[in-house]
Amino acid sequence: MSIISKLTNSWAQADDAGKRLAIKYAILTAALFLPLFWSFLAVRNLYPIAAWNVMMAGGDLERGRSYCILRGETVSGETIDVAAIQLTNALYSRNWTMVNATIDNQAFKLKSIHPRNEEMLRQFGGIENLPPGARISDLLQAWGNIYNQREPESSPKRLKAIRLDMYRWESGSYADYDKFIESWRKEL
Amino acid sequence: MAQGIVNRVVPSSSFALGVVRFFVHGIFLFDTVFTSYSALGSLPPTILRPTGVMKFLPWSFFDALQTQRGMLTLKTLMLISLVLSTAGFLTVISTKTSLLLVLFYQGLLRSFGHFNHDEMIAIYFLVVLAFTPCGDAFSIDSRLGKIKRQRSAFAYAYPILLMQLLLAWVYFSSALIKLRVAGWKYLSADNLPALAIFHSLDNLHDTAFRGAFWLPQVREYLPYAVGFILVWELLFPLAVFFRRVRWLILGIGVVFHVATVPLMNIGFPHQLLMYVVFVNWDRRKLFKSRI
Repeated sequence: MSIISKLTNSWAQADDAGKRLAIKYAILTAALFLPLFWSFLAVRNLYPIAAWNVMMAGGDLERGRSYCILRGETVSGETIDVAAIQLTNALYSRNWTMVNATIDNQAFKLKSIHPRNEEMLRQFGGIENLPPGARISDLLQAWGNIYNQREPESSPKRLKAIRLDMYRWESGSYADYDKFIESWRKEL
Repeated sequence: MAQGIVNRVVPSSSFALGVVRFFVHGIFLFDTVFTSYSALGSLPPTILRPTGVMKFLPWSFFDALQTQRGMLTLKTLMLISLVLSTAGFLTVISTKTSLLLVLFYQGLLRSFGHFNHDEMIAIYFLVVLAFTPCGDAFSIDSRLGKIKRQRSAFAYAYPILLMQLLLAWVYFSSALIKLRVAGWKYLSADNLPALAIFHSLDNLHDTAFRGAFWLPQVREYLPYAVGFILVWELLFPLAVFFRRVRWLILGIGVVFHVATVPLMNIGFPHQLLMYVVFVNWDRRKLFKSRI
């Protein structure tokens, strides 16, 4: 007996509850997999529909890359590295892209822009006049406040300023990883 | 016939599905307990870039949410819902409210940063659990005798199979996309070290391991390692249907996901923990009852 006829027979023998369950599970399966197939074909993530395009292009030695180090200047005069994950652990694995997007002013390139960002755009006269990292200062202020709230008032580890130093790994070799590019600093 | 096959390849008891519910919801509960929502609420809404369905929410909503009060409310709601769904109390409702809240919260995180696929498979598992009888056993509902209906083994087996297929899709489609986008270039000797070093330079990643800087020394061997992982991803669906290779495939997965942390400072803990759907909880229960 072919598989089709076996399936047809088993369907005919099933009771109403069994048929209802099979239909319900078929709908659930389609509701999950059809969007996933679409995002796979389009290679596009549209939350909550995911295309598993993690590291799809791989690394390229010929492409230079910029990266940032978050640092704090303590009241005792020391400069220390500050781990972003310890400040906003909710952002788990996403702190670095949040920083990159903020430096790139991506929040100003949306179809629907936050009213305060719209106001800022008006003040600068358009996105082309906006400096890189127009909102970095707000992010640094938030991170600085979170850090200081966890330190006692008398602690020498409290920060008087927090800054984001950007470096660039130039392309072509496994060396010269830290060419300084620029820095954003926020007094707290 | 199809139901018979399903019942044979995956655990088919209400207990097995209940244990999976406990684990999946429990992981999100664990995350919620140990995450500082107040710190998240301190971040300015002006750096948000709502993604996907999050775009339907107005800015005034995000302004109200990105406050200490807004975040406290969200965390409280999530804790209540996830405690109920993990424990299996009012499961029909609590699994759905947990799904909606986690979906929203994860969307918010992705609106600050990038898409990050780690938790996505667990979110899909929440969808499956929200619409299947996952509270019929290993739950407070079953202890209180609220579950009276007898269901077929298929009712419990198919959701587990569906979750296994979703996990297999994650790896299989990931390999296909890499081949489609990068082609054979994906196997270049510099692919892994260049990517790994880039992820090890800043201090904005969750860990700061330096293993990536050792990779250029062994770069001529790395195309074989990358090719091996690509083949492993393509073969992952075999873990669903063939018990003999299942633990080998899952074992490689554990080594792979653990190794990416010291080498790349990138981890996929949620995805790794979802391997729990491959454990035959029926057999564990049988073993325990014999003891």
